[in-house]
Amino acid sequence: MLNRRRFLGYSTLAPAILADRWLLPSAAAQEPSRPSETPLRLAIIGSTYHYGSDLQTIADRFLVGYPHEGDWHIPNVQVVSMYVEPKPRVGPVPTGGQRAQEDGRVQEDRRAPVAQSAQRPLPFGGREAASAPVPEDGSGPLADLSERRSKEFGFRLCHNIREALRCSGNHNAVDAVLAVVEQGDYPRNDKGQILYPRYDFFQQCAQVFEEEGRAVPYFNSESLSFSFREAQTMVATSERLKFPMLAGSSLPVTWRLPDIDIPIGARIEEAVMVGEGDFDGMDFDALEAMQSMLERREGGETGVKAVQLLKGDDVWAAGDSGRWSKELLSSALSRSDGPLGLTVLDGRPQDMAASGVLPQLAKNPAAYCIEYNDGTRATLLMLNGADQDFTFSARVVGHGLIATQFFRSPAPNVTYSACLTAKIEQMFTTGIAPYPVRRTLLTSGILEACLTSRARLNQRIETPQLAVSYRPPAESQYART
Amino acid sequence: MAQNTIPSRRPQIAVLANIYKTHLHTQHIVDRILDGYGWGGVYHHPPLDVVSLFVEQRGEGDLSSERAMRHSGMKIYPTIAQALTRGTGKLAVDGVVYIGEQGVYPRNKKGQTEYPRYQFFEHVVDVFRASGRAVPFYVDKHLSWKWDWAKDMYDTSRKMGFPLMAGSSVPVTWRMPQVEMPLGASVREAICVAYGNVDSYDIHALEGVQCLVERRKGGETGVEWLQAYRGDNFWKAHEQGLWSPALFKTALCRSETLKSGRESFTGVYPTIREMKALATDPVAYHYQYRDGLRSTIMLLSGLVEDFNFAAAVEGLPKPFSTMMYLSHGTQAATLESYFSPLVHYIEQMMLTGREPYPVERVLLATGLVCAGIDSLFQGQQRVQTPQLAIHYQPGESTLRRT
Repeated sequence: MLNRRRFLGYSTLAPAILADRWLLPSAAAQEPSRPSETPLRLAIIGSTYHYGSDLQTIADRFLVGYPHEGDWHIPNVQVVSMYVEPKPRVGPVPTGGQRAQEDGRVQEDRRAPVAQSAQRPLPFGGREAASAPVPEDGSGPLADLSERRSKEFGFRLCHNIREALRCSGNHNAVDAVLAVVEQGDYPRNDKGQILYPRYDFFQQCAQVFEEEGRAVPYFNSESLSFSFREAQTMVATSERLKFPMLAGSSLPVTWRLPDIDIPIGARIEEAVMVGEGDFDGMDFDALEAMQSMLERREGGETGVKAVQLLKGDDVWAAGDSGRWSKELLSSALSRSDGPLGLTVLDGRPQDMAASGVLPQLAKNPAAYCIEYNDGTRATLLMLNGADQDFTFSARVVGHGLIATQFFRSPAPNVTYSACLTAKIEQMFTTGIAPYPVRRTLLTSGILEACLTSRARLNQRIETPQLAVSYRPPAESQYART
Repeated sequence: MAQNTIPSRRPQIAVLANIYKTHLHTQHIVDRILDGYGWGGVYHHPPLDVVSLFVEQRGEGDLSSERAMRHSGMKIYPTIAQALTRGTGKLAVDGVVYIGEQGVYPRNKKGQTEYPRYQFFEHVVDVFRASGRAVPFYVDKHLSWKWDWAKDMYDTSRKMGFPLMAGSSVPVTWRMPQVEMPLGASVREAICVAYGNVDSYDIHALEGVQCLVERRKGGETGVEWLQAYRGDNFWKAHEQGLWSPALFKTALCRSETLKSGRESFTGVYPTIREMKALATDPVAYHYQYRDGLRSTIMLLSGLVEDFNFAAAVEGLPKPFSTMMYLSHGTQAATLESYFSPLVHYIEQMMLTGREPYPVERVLLATGLVCAGIDSLFQGQQRVQTPQLAIHYQPGESTLRRT
């Protein structure tokens, strides 16, 4: 069983083990490819398997299929094992950068001090709960489903990650790993970051891959880690061990209204993204959706020079001084179906950016100002209280304004996760990630740097570590067919 | 009768409505003309001036006064004729927008709400006749609950030569995916899985199908017969394969709201048994066009809450399919933005004096609703529809792209 001590042991041992320069041949190169009719054996590892959790909405699709291109697609995948972190995952959290161990002793945490506990988990992360029905079997919406699914679908429920990968045997017995470490009762640090152990999950898998000389495709839901350094290690490890890796949010791959993308190689003068949600919550999704557009610009991605997170009146002052474009804000909001204020009162449409109501509605606005190495400027405006959609606009040389809404399909279906699952399955079956994990790496780093800026009284933060370069996929990867 | 002329200044519009309250059609449409809406990546203010307003049913929750207060150019009038003549004794507007949907009106024995669209239309046309001039006329949703009246409205507009626009927002809203039926396609069968009530949402599904299949080879030739199936008859017809099971499944797989028949699952394709438990009052209108094409629209409330289309098209490797999106299905949506493309086309008609898409489409769909309700009323008998030998050619594609 994976207890606290072993868990921490893995976490600290893994980097040392992985520092070994031994290069692993990839699974794809090492083995003949699976006959097409043989199901791919999948291990699922995660934190929270209840109705409406990210793990449930993604993992279930590998069990019962999902809507895809006008058909109900059943993946040729057999879920063979699952590990779900036991609850409560993290015990009472003392202050001052310490975590309680299971035996009651306190161990110095290698991470930043804990400031507050993360949100209590809700169906759909609380984001979509308004109209989401909950099960009526008396088990409650937050009942863990892993045991029930295990019985119905005949996969092994494991006590730790190593066991899940080996299916209780002595060797890696799976062809792919799906990791969804999201929601659950994890603490936050003083920067407001939720300390999801995605790095730890990954490293335990990488350790098995390395020990056995066989590495398989790995999907990591949402950001790679709250720590850019850890995220970098994850990507470096996947590159060193030569296994395909995909990560991130569903927002970059969901439908767009309208169906539009930045023309590849276009010169982007400036971009504004609008979203809503908590710090270290939907801001990641919004930043990654924006990144999926911006990476298509002339010269490809070359990384980020500096970031600054502004709050409150400073957000509006920055708009007045031209730090972000009001025209682009107006354009992005013109794609929204979710304005608040008077629209909620009597249904009227509103020119929110022009009418001056935004400062009244968005009481605690935040601007994530991003300066790219190539001079491109982008800003994410989180306008809780003013608007509920995720929209984007960019001024593009020769194309004018390119603006769209990233469609968040309704709960409980949340078919945006079906869009993401199709990409995950594609990587599992072809061994090729449909878009670069470096997109998620850079976005993880941008978010961490923005939250650092916030913790440092909104200072501008130079980000030499974020010189992350990559090329976008040639084809747009969002839902279009 | 003088032909409609395009005004050189901003067109002045009269708005007529059954009722003007929050989240009703009048509010969605008129507010967009008055306050603007997002279009083409900017916030757009239509170059139209609403100068007069007549609302038949006011009372608690009526928005007329608040809107007239904020838009001082819009005067409230006590009659239709006065809203059109504005104290001049003759027609004094460049266009008429009539939202004859919602409000409290009698229901007849067939279950139709007798909205007074034809009566309003008559009043407007009386003013046109008396003034020797007619202007573009928008009628919300279908033309009338009674076929003869709908036909008369259409014929009158042709005789008097004024542009007439009507219909649902479904043909002009976003599609997921954003696809159009290839022009000249050989369509073998079409299906729409939708939701809502008879005499309410059936027209949306019918117009959604119609805007796709009118693009088929030869254009539109009209409908020969229609038969409705409800309750057990629906499932019997389904199990007998009266409509293509493959197209049915394809349409359901385009839905963003397909209900799971099993608790604790958020997305699992339901079995027939589960579908029957979810959709407790299933209704289908199954109809054959005069060129042989068969189409079916289904209202499956409880199973889906969106409009999903599938068609078998010769030469395509798999069915053509899409979802026509109405934004009130999501948690985030506070705006019913599917009215925006409708207002865009109203604007286009007022500015250019041209019908943005064939009004014959909604005439045919109006006739299909009447036939569907008749079939249901007559014990789900097949209804011959010689009156629906309506020929027309499709116009430009009008699905929302920006």
